[in-house]
Amino acid sequence: MIRRTTRVLLALLVLVVALFAVLASGAFERSVVGSEFEQALAPERMRELADKGRVLVDAADCYACHTDRDGPAWAGGLALELPVGILRSTNISPDKEFGIGNWTRAEFHRAVRDGIGKGGRHLYPAMPYASYRALHPEDVDAMYAFLMSREPVRQPNRDNSLVFPFNLRPLIAVWNLIALPRDPFPAESSRSAAWNRGNYVVNALGHCGECHTPRNLMMVVDNSRHLQGAAVEGIEAPDITATGLAAMGFEPVALKRFMREGLAPQGAATHQMFDVIKHSTQHWSDADLSAMASYLLGDLPPVLKAAEAAAVKPEVTAAGREVYLGVCAGCHGVEGEGVPNVAVALRTNASLRLESPRNFLQAVLHGLPEQDFPGLARMQAMPGFASLLTDQEIANLASWMRAAWGGRAQDVSPALVAKARR
Amino acid sequence: MSIATRPLSLTVNGRKVGPIDVPDSMMMLDFLNEYLNLTGARLGCGIGVCHACTIILDRPDGRAEEMRTCITGAHFFADKSIRTVEAHAERDAQGNLVKLAPVQQAFIEHFAFQCGYCTSGFVTGATVLIERLKREPVARKDLERTITEALDRHICRCTGYVRYYEAVREVVLATPGLVKG
Repeated sequence: MIRRTTRVLLALLVLVVALFAVLASGAFERSVVGSEFEQALAPERMRELADKGRVLVDAADCYACHTDRDGPAWAGGLALELPVGILRSTNISPDKEFGIGNWTRAEFHRAVRDGIGKGGRHLYPAMPYASYRALHPEDVDAMYAFLMSREPVRQPNRDNSLVFPFNLRPLIAVWNLIALPRDPFPAESSRSAAWNRGNYVVNALGHCGECHTPRNLMMVVDNSRHLQGAAVEGIEAPDITATGLAAMGFEPVALKRFMREGLAPQGAATHQMFDVIKHSTQHWSDADLSAMASYLLGDLPPVLKAAEAAAVKPEVTAAGREVYLGVCAGCHGVEGEGVPNVAVALRTNASLRLESPRNFLQAVLHGLPEQDFPGLARMQAMPGFASLLTDQEIANLASWMRAAWGGRAQDVSPALVAKARR
Repeated sequence: MSIATRPLSLTVNGRKVGPIDVPDSMMMLDFLNEYLNLTGARLGCGIGVCHACTIILDRPDGRAEEMRTCITGAHFFADKSIRTVEAHAERDAQGNLVKLAPVQQAFIEHFAFQCGYCTSGFVTGATVLIERLKREPVARKDLERTITEALDRHICRCTGYVRYYEAVREVVLATPGLVKG
């Protein structure tokens, strides 16, 4: 009896391993790149397309990952610190040895749209090919033409240091079977042209969902909760659905301004969003910014309501306002009105209107670096107050500010502040 | 409309001060300059960048912290203990100057400042650094970097920092126990 069970279990195990091996072989992966892309583009076509490609590469924010801070453009090497190890971006300059100089048009298309590099190597999904899959092939041609027109950089790629089993690239083939849905955001003929363009700009080019849509246990983007907000590196990438944006106080004009300048009455872009605006969305055309707003807020944007002060205990008001006048008002103004080029207004700040106080607490505890925004605006560095203020003081500050200016009635507890310190 | 005030008590340069009625939203710099006639801390940029306005906050655990008074409210210092630049020199019972603090003397000997507007901030920053090194000495090889990190944020528009820097290094090296190895 026991021997029989063992035999059955062994057989099952062999079957599972075999099934996994077949899946991991990539045999079931579906390329969206047709054979017509095997045909190389003529040199004059490449020259024609390069300028259009520059705009598209900016819009898709290739630079932010494929250029290291202070490193040569397009040479890769930026370290992405993940919970499972360090992943490094690759050299996509046209160097023939270290970059993509020897890549054919079809190989480039497969990397961008299928997530499969030259020689069949699976790319890690930090490369947002799940979003780029929806890119128009002619746009990918233009991106290829632009990148091939750049200066080649002789900089070798550096190894990743990922823990087992995340260091096994064939496993990505299995992940791809689940993670690459068939056309998740189709065009809708009942909607305006701007909305449909916005769909493309937001979901394919801008790949906004890679951060703003939550992921499931398999780290696959959960499109049933499309753009409803997720935590990225301890910071909340907020809900940017029409409801979420309206709750933060965004209407189309302010949203466009925020994405072009990084600054709006709703606050300053910080953390990764600052890089997104700096490298990418500030370069979007006015038409694409409008399209983005039409798509995210809808052709008929929700009517905004100013945040109404929520009720908060008088002792919390007194204690919170005391902390505010002590260490915040000097830069942000006594009434939270802000000072241009010094500190943002807080009365209208989106971080106070979010359901979670996470982003607000991160800024208070750990501060923010000084920033220069597209155009001439800048903001001074904000000091962190982790060592100067107690959990209780920060809790009072957060509870009062969120109630008074964010319309959020729920108290922030000292325990939550203690947790945010870690 | 009247300005809302609250009583404020604190310890300034070892002396109890207050209670004094002080406007709710008054910055500490105005309180020191206008209420206590302690004019050593100076208004420079008014936005917390230049550090001409700094004073020392003595924490209950013995650590000292440099605070920018142009952006910190007076009431933040309620019941706390602070030192301004007026406190560093040695004085006799009548309050007459007996001897400058080593950092102050070194700044003069090195011709570290010209107009002097930033000097009280540099004295404050250097004092906090020296007191920290008394508790936590640094390796000799790290001294230059440590001085730069501690004073980097202080802005001087006359003499270009080198003389301030050399004066601080001289004091640190001449004071026993601040540097290891």
